Amino acid sequence: MSKRKLGLLTGSAALALILAACGGGTDDATESSANGGDASEGTESEGSGVVDFETVVTNEGEVMDGGTLNVALVTSSPFQGIFSHELYEDAYDADLMQFAIEEIFSTDENFQITNDGAVSLDFDQEAKTATLTVNEGVTWSDGEPVTSEDLLYSYEVIGHPDYTGIRYDANFTNIVGMAEYKSGEADTISGITVNDDTSITIEYLEVHPGMLQSGGGIWSGAMPKHHLEDVAIADLEGSEQIRSNPLGFGPFAVSNIVPGESVEFVANEYYYKGAPVLDSVIVEVVPPESIVAALSNGEYDVALKMPTDEYPTYADLPGYTLLGREELAYTYIGFKLGTWDSEASEVVTNPDAKMSSKELRQAMGYAIDNDAVATQFYNGLRSNANTAIIPAFGDFHNADVEGYTYNPDLANQLLDDAGFEDTDGDGFREDQDGEQLVINFASMAGGDTAEPIAEYYMQSWQQIGLNVQLTDGRLLEFNSFYDRLEADDEGIDIYQGAWGTGTDPNPEGLYGRNSAFNYTRWSSDENDALLDKISGRADDEEGNAWDSEWIMTQYHDWQQYFSEEAPIIPTLFRNEVLPVNNRVAHYDWGYDADPEFGWHAVGVTQDEAVTE
Amino acid sequence: MWKTILRRVVVMIPQVFILSIIVFALAQAMPGDPFTGLITPQTDPAVIENLREQAGLNDPIPVQYVRWLGNAVQGDFGQSYTYKIPVASIIGQRAGNTILLSLLSFILTYLIAIPLGMLAGRYNNSWLDKIVVIYNYVSYAIPTFVLALLMLWLFGYTLNWFPTSGSVDVTLAKGSMDYYLNKGFHLILPAITYALLGTTTIIQYLRSEVVDAKTQDYVKTARSKGVPEKVVYSRHIFRNSALPIASTMGYQITGLIGGSIFIEKIFAFPGMGQLFISSLTSRDYSVIVALTLLFGVATLVGTLLSDIIMTIVDPRIRID
Repeated sequence: MSKRKLGLLTGSAALALILAACGGGTDDATESSANGGDASEGTESEGSGVVDFETVVTNEGEVMDGGTLNVALVTSSPFQGIFSHELYEDAYDADLMQFAIEEIFSTDENFQITNDGAVSLDFDQEAKTATLTVNEGVTWSDGEPVTSEDLLYSYEVIGHPDYTGIRYDANFTNIVGMAEYKSGEADTISGITVNDDTSITIEYLEVHPGMLQSGGGIWSGAMPKHHLEDVAIADLEGSEQIRSNPLGFGPFAVSNIVPGESVEFVANEYYYKGAPVLDSVIVEVVPPESIVAALSNGEYDVALKMPTDEYPTYADLPGYTLLGREELAYTYIGFKLGTWDSEASEVVTNPDAKMSSKELRQAMGYAIDNDAVATQFYNGLRSNANTAIIPAFGDFHNADVEGYTYNPDLANQLLDDAGFEDTDGDGFREDQDGEQLVINFASMAGGDTAEPIAEYYMQSWQQIGLNVQLTDGRLLEFNSFYDRLEADDEGIDIYQGAWGTGTDPNPEGLYGRNSAFNYTRWSSDENDALLDKISGRADDEEGNAWDSEWIMTQYHDWQQYFSEEAPIIPTLFRNEVLPVNNRVAHYDWGYDADPEFGWHAVGVTQDEAVTE
Repeated sequence: MWKTILRRVVVMIPQVFILSIIVFALAQAMPGDPFTGLITPQTDPAVIENLREQAGLNDPIPVQYVRWLGNAVQGDFGQSYTYKIPVASIIGQRAGNTILLSLLSFILTYLIAIPLGMLAGRYNNSWLDKIVVIYNYVSYAIPTFVLALLMLWLFGYTLNWFPTSGSVDVTLAKGSMDYYLNKGFHLILPAITYALLGTTTIIQYLRSEVVDAKTQDYVKTARSKGVPEKVVYSRHIFRNSALPIASTMGYQITGLIGGSIFIEKIFAFPGMGQLFISSLTSRDYSVIVALTLLFGVATLVGTLLSDIIMTIVDPRIRID
């Protein structure tokens, strides 16, 4: 839903070092097509050392009626347990919610909203309105129908002056009358009309094509008003109704929670796509240190958030099929090129910044071998990134952008031509004015690979004659790193960071002129023009602004331009892995899965998990 | 003695006060705040600011401190930024688990250590003594998480005797007999692990004290009076040898509340150790300050308890 800063910390931290020796590497981010038949275990694709995974598994055997699915949620800390799309903050809560508390929209392989879900969307760009209609038969798990009041209640909660969560953002301020409601001047949101029992119409100040994207502008949750209306909005987060007996319209209903440890779900007979095959689902927190042993014993059928740094220890787990798919995230090297003007709310790019030479940035991109990093440090579960729009975004991703691959000769050539010469014979290049050039590199601590990877990058840059030092001479802690990055600390010239992308490919929030999260502080008129087109603020002569093919072209052009300018060098795409026991009859983990497939359709073929 | 105890408690008040100032200032001095890393790029920076403002994080630290102090003396330690429930509730949830676990392992520790220490001292240089000494070396040298993982692997996954994670099965109804039995069952493996690690010092002290005491005059006297050997050990020698252990017992009791991050992590057992570490990384100020204070008070109380225990165990010692 939302983009988030990612720490390099994998969560398991130091403890994982003992059990998981750092093996060779593999990683791939390709989406396999959804086909039937037995999925094979991850296989190394030729040459690159990157692992290819299937996203679908089908096992033989007759599906039992009922049964319990045991799910492990791999994390070393207890979950927070805020079961509400409007209020949760921790990603693990989202993993738990998927069984019971669904979003209202379904999406296609490009993460664009379709009408197969609980709610249909009718978007009118001329009138600047969106009409949401609850589809027939959509019912809360207590048997009450989902109504227009429930759709509205999400907006009323998030927009409320007492709202305690973090979802009140530009997508809400864009609704007519929301500002007045937020400030307390109005008791209702004037831009939202309840049409009848099942539909509401929302009026927007501005509309853009990205709003048809999941997470792109239209809120995708609904709240059971009959269940929650007795709770004051300021108290919702701590309320029983959210934490102990939350209500959703998903395939399962929460029946029991042990705070921070486990959740029991039972089948929701009212589920609008049909009653689930299984009787119940039990999700338990399992620490990364023992998940492999637990799986070998067949204690769990599915393991969510499997630690990828221990991949070699479970690559050939008997009784399980490993599914893989691309994580909605990428890692990158950023170059500090200016400062943030908080008054004007825009970046101020400094043409004289230390890293302002495009050739210098490009050369640093060509000097590093990300395929080697992916295979040596990440067991092939990552792969060299070519652009800042990840392949999981389907047609938005431009596979033709070459990006930066290892080519030290070209790197040297670029630096020579741009006038970075070693004039004093110390083995390091001086800058274009013949001054000493020392580049300060900020990188985050966390996990056992953070230090060697930072060292590897610095050595690679030294090999093309650049003197790169760690900021402060050491790795920085997550909070400290982002604090200093946001403050445009002078001790940081380049940095390694990561972004979780959410499901909206629009790069403006990260690289736009007015985005505080544009940490490189890079901007250009051409970038503005391209982003205007992507965001639907600029049109061509034929008026194609809402034509999806035309928009895709703009995305592709932006990626090409952005890669050439190199304010960041995307380094790695990431893969995540899901072990599924062979007693699970069919599972589809692809982003392009059939909308009719879901947890309600999952069944098992025998009583106990398969362990051989 | 009661006067002394009262005086000691009164002295604690300024100590806790000073501690709270230091903890409060240091917590705020850490880079970042609870909202670092939570905000999405679509968020208007003004909204972020508003959240900070509402949380009072923009006020000068002394102002924040005074506000916090005002609430704290009324027992309100604020709301956890991460868990979104009052600090007292989250600490209460975890402390319940941790105290149960620590209490059981505390009892197990002494049940294992005292007989072993006494026997090793009584029969020193025998094969029994040698085994105890080797056991001691191993339990001292083995890192907590290695032992925890070994126990988990052996008794949890290989022999399948004990549950491997959590504090209770989710399917059981709260409050039923099965629920409490199941809860106790979940405690056994982590408690034994914890206990085994705690035995080293006690065994070592006890053993060397017993070895020492065997040649003391009062033992010789007892023996020459015809006191049976068994009684010599259980009454005369044990009482004297237990003094150094008794002196640390107070700390151990208060240590019960701290929990063990390693054991909690490996057995996925939500306790105080984990809460403390995660509150530090997420900059959950209210929880950090409350926990540090709690640990500080526990240490102060522990010192006092140790002194009191000493006077009970050793009648020669009097505090006045």
